[in-house]
Amino acid sequence: MTDQEIIERINTSLAEEFELDLADMVPEATIYEDLGLDSLDTVDMVIVLEAAFKFKIREETAIREIRTLGDIHNFVIDKYRRQDGAA
Amino acid sequence: MSYDWLVIGGGASGLTAATLLAQEGHRVALVEKNPCLAPLLRGFRRGDFHFDTGFHYTGGLGRGEILDLFFRCLGLSERLRTTPFDLTGFDRVREPGQAEFAFPVGEERLEERLCREFPGQERAISGYLAEVRRACAVHPYLDLEAPLAGSGTFFGLEGTSLQEMLSRWTDHPRLQRLFSVHTLLYGVPPEEAPFSLHASVVGPYYQSVHGLVGGGLALAEAFAARLTELGIDIFLGRGAQELLFTPAGTLRGARLEDGTIVETRGCVATLHPALLPGMVPEGVFRPVYRRRLLALEDSLPAFTLYGVCRKANSLLHGRNIFLLGNLENGLDDTIYLTAADNGPASGSGLVAIAPLPPGATDRWKDSVTGRRPPEYEAYKAEQAAHLVRRIEEGCPELGGIKVTATATALTMRDYLHTPRGGLYGVRHRLGQYNPQRRTRVANLLLAGQGVAAPGVLGAVLSGFLACGDVIGHEQLRERVKACR
Repeated sequence: MTDQEIIERINTSLAEEFELDLADMVPEATIYEDLGLDSLDTVDMVIVLEAAFKFKIREETAIREIRTLGDIHNFVIDKYRRQDGAA
Repeated sequence: MSYDWLVIGGGASGLTAATLLAQEGHRVALVEKNPCLAPLLRGFRRGDFHFDTGFHYTGGLGRGEILDLFFRCLGLSERLRTTPFDLTGFDRVREPGQAEFAFPVGEERLEERLCREFPGQERAISGYLAEVRRACAVHPYLDLEAPLAGSGTFFGLEGTSLQEMLSRWTDHPRLQRLFSVHTLLYGVPPEEAPFSLHASVVGPYYQSVHGLVGGGLALAEAFAARLTELGIDIFLGRGAQELLFTPAGTLRGARLEDGTIVETRGCVATLHPALLPGMVPEGVFRPVYRRRLLALEDSLPAFTLYGVCRKANSLLHGRNIFLLGNLENGLDDTIYLTAADNGPASGSGLVAIAPLPPGATDRWKDSVTGRRPPEYEAYKAEQAAHLVRRIEEGCPELGGIKVTATATALTMRDYLHTPRGGLYGVRHRLGQYNPQRRTRVANLLLAGQGVAAPGVLGAVLSGFLACGDVIGHEQLRERVKACR
């Protein structure tokens, strides 16, 4: 999967599961202010990403540092590539 | 009539939340679908015997221990009398080809006895028990001196399973299994059970073990009297059907099954979380959250036999029996035996609980209590006969068993209005995200065994946690500490 494909998969999964507008989903968008998620949504965000990419990220501490949608893109791309390299 | 808080569900967690909020001066109403409060705690009567269905024994009820403090804080203690379980062996484990192993009350005695039983395993035993102690000491309500912060979003979901923790300390299969028998108290297999949860369940039992005179019924009645004393309005015999919102999306009340509208500014919902999505309009919860609630797995289903011993005996007075199968079957064939109730006149009534494989009664899931097909009755009779045979083999001193009634997961489902009838509601297992107390709706809080922890202690704790979210945890803990 290319980086762009990964980003698209992230955006469409989150848009669908959190009822977000794809047009708002720019990398600079902050998750809590711009996209309107709150701390309660963190668990579900992890569930959505795990289901979309078939990997486990719940125990990664980096997930707690995420602030913007771009952070999510980078986090998942990085995780995806590391997993790919390991496979 | 308008309330500050509406509590949905009149079980131990709902009764606790309602009592605490009313004690804080809130105007509280409680709605329970059954015609009486706390049906699971209450149990049932057949002939000369009262059978406990929900509550059999508990840890934490010694003077000054956590459940004792909770009951004091709730104003229940005056109405309850505790009865200590057998100090020399409150839980007795019988395994094929082995002498009975008795769990004594008190951690030191337990350690000593285990070390005697398993020479060469001393380091493993003391190391593992220290892990249990450590895990309990970080819980801000089990240990009132523990820091409040620290239980993050993912608390209990990640980390070590009970089985992994045991394997770290010992490879002795029988010792591992003995440390795992109490997973039956929350219905999750050791490979899936979060060690932190296991420790918080067994830790209190390692300190003290008590029953209540009059069993769960006494607790149900103490709660009912306390609710009346506090002027809490109780709606019985009709469930909450729908939560109502203002156009701006603020919670404003609930519609009950009979059409009654109860206006409220806040709600503590203790029903099975999978029922919640059906009670709110589309768009209130995110699709992913709705789906998560609907997909939650329950704790293990069980087959329960209520019966009477043919011979007067005191085997189950102040103690329980765990009958285990062959070691290679793990806990699959376990039968838990306890007295029908723990009053002084409990006689020789007994309750036997055996885990069922998930889905065992799915074939009849479209039937309801009172209208089951004959095949289901035949299945129950066969299960009962099998259980009776095993109990008679394992406990000859009971002189045989006469079956009074039996129950499956379907019975529990229909009786308690839960979707699947797991013994302890939603299971706590690694990898499953149980809902948190807070929801996206301001002033809609969740409580119950699946949200906090299993058993009477877990349910009462969950009521405290919900109330702590309302009035502040530091303040609530001070109230509990003042009961010391």
